[in-house]
Amino acid sequence: MAGPLRVLVVGGGRVGSYVAQLLDDRGHDIVVIEQDPDLVDELSDEYVATIIEGDATRPSILEQAGLDRVDVVTALTGNTGTNLAVCLAVSQLAPEVWTVMRTDHAIGDEYHRFVDSVVFPERAGARAAVNSVEHGVRSLEDVTGALEIMEIEVVDGAPVAGRSLTDVTLPRGSLVVSDADGERIAGSETVLEAGRSYVVAAQSDVSDEVLNLMRGGADRSD
Amino acid sequence: MSGEGTRQPAAELGLLDATMIGMGAMIGAGIFVLTGLAAEISGPAAVLVFTLNGVVTAFTGLSYAELAAAIPKSGGGYAFVREVFDDVGSFVMGWMLWFAYMIAGGLYALGFAPNFLELLHVYGFVPPPEAVSAIAVPVVPVDIPAAVALAMTAVGLLVLVNAVSTAASGSVETVFTIVKVSILVVFVAFGLLSAGGGGETSFTFQNFDPLFPDAGGAASILPAMGLTFIAFEGYDLITTVTEEVENPRENIPKAIFVSLVATVLVYLAVVTVAVGTLGAEGLAQAGEAGIARAATSFMPTDLPVIRNGGAVIVFGAVFSTITALNAVVIASSRVAFSMGREGQLLPSFGDIHHRYGTPFVAILASAVVMLASVSLPTASAGNMSSLFFLLSFIVVNVSVIRLRRRRPDMARPYEIPYYPIPPLLGIALNTILAGVLVEYLLRTDRLALALSAGWIAVGLVVYYALERYRGRSADADASATRDGAADAPNTDERDG
Repeated sequence: MAGPLRVLVVGGGRVGSYVAQLLDDRGHDIVVIEQDPDLVDELSDEYVATIIEGDATRPSILEQAGLDRVDVVTALTGNTGTNLAVCLAVSQLAPEVWTVMRTDHAIGDEYHRFVDSVVFPERAGARAAVNSVEHGVRSLEDVTGALEIMEIEVVDGAPVAGRSLTDVTLPRGSLVVSDADGERIAGSETVLEAGRSYVVAAQSDVSDEVLNLMRGGADRSD
Repeated sequence: MSGEGTRQPAAELGLLDATMIGMGAMIGAGIFVLTGLAAEISGPAAVLVFTLNGVVTAFTGLSYAELAAAIPKSGGGYAFVREVFDDVGSFVMGWMLWFAYMIAGGLYALGFAPNFLELLHVYGFVPPPEAVSAIAVPVVPVDIPAAVALAMTAVGLLVLVNAVSTAASGSVETVFTIVKVSILVVFVAFGLLSAGGGGETSFTFQNFDPLFPDAGGAASILPAMGLTFIAFEGYDLITTVTEEVENPRENIPKAIFVSLVATVLVYLAVVTVAVGTLGAEGLAQAGEAGIARAATSFMPTDLPVIRNGGAVIVFGAVFSTITALNAVVIASSRVAFSMGREGQLLPSFGDIHHRYGTPFVAILASAVVMLASVSLPTASAGNMSSLFFLLSFIVVNVSVIRLRRRRPDMARPYEIPYYPIPPLLGIALNTILAGVLVEYLLRTDRLALALSAGWIAVGLVVYYALERYRGRSADADASATRDGAADAPNTDERDG
């Protein structure tokens, strides 16, 4: 499923708004559902998503996000029960939508019967804390700020597929770090082969362009 | 020209920059190219034509403001309509808008050429424009009129520049627009100063009497409005760069209104001076170079360096048409690019070129239609572009209403005052103008009408061809899962 996705983010709090921001940087279309009018105003100022104000567990609100065109729903409120309810409602209303839910405790895979993916943001937060405690060692997922380090699979038919780095002009603020095997640092002779993955560092303002170059061009019908 | 350094706009665009993008497009070529054409149909009432067009378009401006503040997507009208309408509806909108921009490009190129020749003429390089004969093309045994050749060259060059490097940032546009407006202010000032001078082209109110032409009377302003509607295409360009504007939910609506009001005032002043000095007939005769011709007649001629004051205005015309052309090259390719990304055109339209960092395919495809439209008469190009803008503005107004119904709880940082009156008025007025324009075209320009219908027809063929092409490839990899999902309740599927 290459190309821009339409993502419904339920919950526009700290996790939700940050997720919306990152997804927007990568060029996706975002709809946020948020209940709190103050948060709605803050989100409007950020201008990364269309926002629907209301309770996402109510189908009349949920449907305003245009579920027939949504590819992924991520339920990211601070309430595990709400998130589960939203994912269940979505899987009833639009069975083909991929569902992601946030939990507030480490629960293994017991929710996997109902949702496609479970995230536990506190674990990432804990890792960040550990990284700061232990100077000098950081896990890469945690390098935030304006820079993202991603592993990207080049899609068949993408603009750069089959071309060497000499033939490609990546946007300024991006760098292919490793070659396809992940064993060598990429050089000008490195060829970006379709179907292989590369480690790429990109500033957030160009990550959608990098993704377009490496993942565009494939058949975008979902 | 690698485009590396200019890939992202250097700075966020402020209210001034956003306003200037809108004004830059509206004060671009329309004022130079269309004034003569409007005067031809409605005489001195051309002044009213532009003012009323500004009023009509303001209703759609409100709709654009509400949509742009609520839907954070660059891509303008197409992106908004895509939120509201199903696939066919949004495809037709994008297809129309794409065409409107491309034809506008052709129109601006056609406006550029005679003004450029006029500029060369002012400096004595070439005889008066009407005396420049066709350029004999060495290899092909046809004579291409000089103006057409020039117009095609202009399109070709700008397309080339845009294809291999990304667009200049908004702050450059701000400078361009200030230059254009200043030149027009100079024009207006000298035109008014010439009043009472007694010369043949001194400003005089006698030129406004009678206000309406003998043929057609007051009703003649309607077709003229339809024909020149494209002049106020441009504020919608603000909504194609929304993501780069700071504090967009406040600044976008403001920029739309400020640029509209300012533009209407500029048009009012310029057209008043042009009619007041040259007279409606003289203006009509000069056609695309009307304003420039008026200027040459009353500007001082004994200035140092530039020699001829009129040259400043003629330069303004050349500069404006070329910058407006540049703007629509970008705008048209952005629509095609968005459509490609949404899978509504071939996916390659939505790709950024691996070397140039531009939507290469989208730009080249736009160039083909733009180059073809250069072979049209100026009036036909204007007619078609205006018609498609009118139609697409109707759709934008309908979108606002539909979106209010479908998503009552959507956050709308800017809400249209007195809703639903403005969008309904927008729909009604744009429909009337489109109807009048079609009726007018039936009498005078069937070619434009046929080409417009043809474009829609081609669009529908393209749409259904793409649909089949996508259906086939989607079936190949999705049929298995879809069958499973249809038979079993969805929870089963997620068991594993």
